[in-house]
Amino acid sequence: MTFRMVTPKLRLTELLRQAGGLAVADAVANAEQGLQSIRPTCLAELKELLEQAEACLAATGELYDEAGVNDLYRLAVHGIGGGELCKVPDVDAALASLCDLLDAFRTTEVYEREAVAVHLRAWRLLMSPDAPGQAPELVVQGLRKVSARFAA
Amino acid sequence: MALDPSSRARFNLENACVLLLDDTSIGMSILTQMVKGFGATRLFRCDSVEQASRIAQEQQLDLAIVDSGAGGQGFDFVRWMRTNCNEPNCFTPVLITTAHTPVAHIARARDCGSHITVKKPFSPLVLLERIIWVAKEGRPFLFTDRYTGPDRRFQEKEPPKGKARRQDDADSRLTLLDEPPTPRKAAS
Repeated sequence: MTFRMVTPKLRLTELLRQAGGLAVADAVANAEQGLQSIRPTCLAELKELLEQAEACLAATGELYDEAGVNDLYRLAVHGIGGGELCKVPDVDAALASLCDLLDAFRTTEVYEREAVAVHLRAWRLLMSPDAPGQAPELVVQGLRKVSARFAA
Repeated sequence: MALDPSSRARFNLENACVLLLDDTSIGMSILTQMVKGFGATRLFRCDSVEQASRIAQEQQLDLAIVDSGAGGQGFDFVRWMRTNCNEPNCFTPVLITTAHTPVAHIARARDCGSHITVKKPFSPLVLLERIIWVAKEGRPFLFTDRYTGPDRRFQEKEPPKGKARRQDDADSRLTLLDEPPTPRKAAS
């Protein structure tokens, strides 16, 4: 077995220390401002992903279909992060639960269509930022229970 | 690792060449806005591993932020960078972002040779903390038959209570973020 260890000198370390640049507070504020500017586009994309996921589910049957599950997984993964940006953070949690569920299906080749359907209905519900009080949190808790039932 | 969001400490990313790899438009938009907000101007935005590989062969990269991707292709790209790129790009600090890591990809994630993994969704402050952390770590880099990348055995420990920090420890911690000096009061 070969083994070699080096401690490289990173140019990034030197660059970060160069004069000028930004204060942490200003950098974070700039980034937040930039994120705000893309929120409408991101919201539209998140809705489009949901519609694609609904169409994908509609095209699948009751039995395990690897290609269908992979497509749904890809759509759910693509959406994660968008919820936080669009001020509907529970969407990210619902999508993470959906990913857990679909990954469990891929691992065990067991499939339950209704478990996916309930996640997609929740995704649509949670897209509304006006959901009352603790309702979104309870919805996410329920989804996690569903995906945990199938965990490999 | 916690960074104070109201800190006036400064850092400079203006001249850093940063590669962003994310095949999702939402993910790429978020990353771009964050990194541009941090002052980076030399960005290479790639939506495929093929495009990122070309850039990694043509440009000297100071930082790479790579999404793992739904199929784990981001892990493969980092592994390729570590084993196929010439110096200095084989040592480039790499942050992996991931929305979800399937059970089947855990070993790939662990062994690909990234410096750190950040779970989506993340805030600008978290990303900035991680960028600064990978830059100042100065971790040893290992080349073995089965793994190439930064040493995965590391700890951030405070010095033991009641004992002075050894000189070696102090030297290994680079102070990247220097608070601006406090203005002195005029002598009365």
